[in-house]
Amino acid sequence: MRSMALGTTLVGLLVLAACAAAPAAAPPPAAPLAVTHTARDLAPPSACEGRFVAHPLGVTTGARMREIATYASNGAGLAAGDLDGDGRLDLVLASIDREATILWNDGGLRVVPQPLEARFTRAVTVVDVDGDGALDITFSHRGRAAPSLWRNLGARRFAAAPLPGVDSYAYALAWADLQGDGALDLVTGAYDAELKNFGLTPDELRVAGGVTLYEQRDGAFVGHRLADRAEALAIGLMDLDDDARPDVWVGNDFAVPDACWVRQGAAWRPDYPFAQTSHSTMSIDWGDLANDGRMALFTTDMNPGDVSVEVLAQWLPVISTLEEKHGPFDPQIMANTLQVRDWRGAWQNEAARRGVDATGWSWSGRFGDLDNDGFLDLYVVNGMIASNLFGYLPGGELVEANRAFRNRGDGTFAAAPEWGLGDTASGRGMLPADMDGDGDLDVVVNNLRGQAVLFENRLCGGAGLAVDLRWPGSPNPYAIGARLELVTSAGTLRRDVRVSSGYLSGDAPRVHFGVPAGATLERLVIRYPDGAVADVRDLRPHTLIEVLR
Amino acid sequence: MTTADRPFRLAPLLALLHPGRLAWPAAIALVIGLILGWGGFLVLGLPRWAITAIVLLVLLPVGILKWRDDLRRHGFTIMMLSILLITQGVHTIEHLMQFAQYYIQLLPARQANGLLSPANAEWVHFVWNWSVLLVVLVLLRGGVRNPPAIALLVVAGAHAIEHTYTFVRYLQVLSELRELEVLRVTAQGLPGIIGRDGWLARSPLTQGTFLCTLPGITTAMRLDVHFWWNIIETTLLLGAATWFLGGHPPTLVPSWWRAREWWGARRARQGTGASVG
Repeated sequence: MRSMALGTTLVGLLVLAACAAAPAAAPPPAAPLAVTHTARDLAPPSACEGRFVAHPLGVTTGARMREIATYASNGAGLAAGDLDGDGRLDLVLASIDREATILWNDGGLRVVPQPLEARFTRAVTVVDVDGDGALDITFSHRGRAAPSLWRNLGARRFAAAPLPGVDSYAYALAWADLQGDGALDLVTGAYDAELKNFGLTPDELRVAGGVTLYEQRDGAFVGHRLADRAEALAIGLMDLDDDARPDVWVGNDFAVPDACWVRQGAAWRPDYPFAQTSHSTMSIDWGDLANDGRMALFTTDMNPGDVSVEVLAQWLPVISTLEEKHGPFDPQIMANTLQVRDWRGAWQNEAARRGVDATGWSWSGRFGDLDNDGFLDLYVVNGMIASNLFGYLPGGELVEANRAFRNRGDGTFAAAPEWGLGDTASGRGMLPADMDGDGDLDVVVNNLRGQAVLFENRLCGGAGLAVDLRWPGSPNPYAIGARLELVTSAGTLRRDVRVSSGYLSGDAPRVHFGVPAGATLERLVIRYPDGAVADVRDLRPHTLIEVLR
Repeated sequence: MTTADRPFRLAPLLALLHPGRLAWPAAIALVIGLILGWGGFLVLGLPRWAITAIVLLVLLPVGILKWRDDLRRHGFTIMMLSILLITQGVHTIEHLMQFAQYYIQLLPARQANGLLSPANAEWVHFVWNWSVLLVVLVLLRGGVRNPPAIALLVVAGAHAIEHTYTFVRYLQVLSELRELEVLRVTAQGLPGIIGRDGWLARSPLTQGTFLCTLPGITTAMRLDVHFWWNIIETTLLLGAATWFLGGHPPTLVPSWWRAREWWGARRARQGTGASVG
């Protein structure tokens, strides 16, 4: 009898243990979503020269300022998107000292400039805020100003429109469906150092600065204060805790540590996932570097890429003044970071081992498969102009070449100076986008005190596949936040649809896959932000496909 | 086993370091040095390095007397050993101060530069490390030849090379700064061969290899790198000295230690007699 009772207890304990150890019930696999897609051939590939060719765009920010000092020195961003629905990506260049400019893409790398009455702008995104199917434009501005919205009226016309409820001053901004309700939400981050220069008191900063998450509800925005203090140069909205939902990462300048928030139920809680972060995080980007499904997160900072005596002498007078008192267990280092999960699932900084920890006075650092070999490469733009910092250098300018890095195929990088991207203009905002529609990524840089430049990709080999997602009737018609997996004979390539990343810049909601030569395309799996999954087949390289949900 | 048979005995080392009859003069000199330094700070606003220099200068005569005693009693080699032990100890305090300034006071790395180094870290450490290497060579020549001493020679040599590299870079960058007409900026504190942003970490030869992220070797900041250089050197020096003095004639064994040994040996003899009887 006793042994029977003991056996029953043991069985009961085992059952209890099994119940306790069982993972939370996974949602039932969603039925494959019915989508339709159309494909059209891309433009013929540009001439194969093994390098990029620079095309000045005729627009300059900072040229009207007699002298550039901090924080005009931080320049402005740019964004891309098909604003007029002609299938070609147009550009919007923000400007710190004049009105912003739309560059209408008329094909063949011909652009037509059109001023937009948005003045003294910093960050820019091209995003369909109101879900009407047309891409709008949002800006952050220098000084005491909340973000602005320019609604797309069609026929290449825009009108200023309110962002009801959005009242915090912002430097960086980013859009994504953070609340999971379909509508796009906004995160803004202020740059307190500049606001102080504009006369804000600490009390005013606490009210109007900091980090705010604006939840979009029925066309209006409800602010949730995340932090009272910020020196936000970059905001990344990506999944940090593997729950397939975007989280918030604010990259702060100076000694203010970066801040992260992850969603816990309906609330947002601060998180500290990184053992090391950049000291002055100037840009945030992310991607799957080795096509193994593991996300890597990249931030830029100030760290001389060249440690020759001449370069160190140029840096030293400034860099020696930038250090501030650090806090206990301060995770900040003055270097780029490349966060990759280790075997425990913890983020580890592997920037040094992978060859990208020191690239100069780096602003935008962006991934993109520049050589169409199926692996994300890296491009970083550099330089600094500030008469109050670099007065001992001609023009107050620290001249540095931009740096391109080729992904070796395992997520480590080799410098690629042969690509001809080592421009020495003082780059700030930057994005990779296929501007000539020929299947490879070009690069556009919004330089400070120098013309914005489009670097036309004339590398050789591989092909491209461009993907536009359309979700009409949804408050998120471009399916921002969708994750795409392209299954090929050369491996599975993963990308996501986003409208903001890097430094002050907005991405086109058009996804680019580089397809290595000889690889065949098997299928495209699309995971929409609401959890629905679509499977698209009959794919050909060198096409632009539009997937309609 | 006699005293001379034992390689590791702590007592002779303690006896060598003990100021003996100079204990009171040393204490008084320290107090005078501190008063002068504090006064200099209050009246003249002397910087930290100058106050430290005053204290060391006031202590120096006592040290010279101590080392003269060592020379008379034990000879040249042990006197040099005594000099190195005491001065390396003081130098280690300098690095402990840097460590405390950074990790406890939370000062920025460039301001966490110890007591004397603010005068000029590159000169101080360059001169110091070559001096250590020379003294270690003198000690080897004088008979201090044991495994810790050999290891110390290697480490001190490497450390001196490291500081030569940083010193040369310091002078070069200083020259560049002069060309830029930047005269008020110091070029001290640049990374050396090892450590984060050092030559090994940033060399094209090591890019993309495990050498870029060798824990400590290519990842630690300069302050940590040199703290550990000195901790290792001091440990090896203590090991070499203990080994060497343990095999030295018992003049360096203090009387209380000899009495303790005599008492132990007597008890052992008594115990043996009891068992035989």
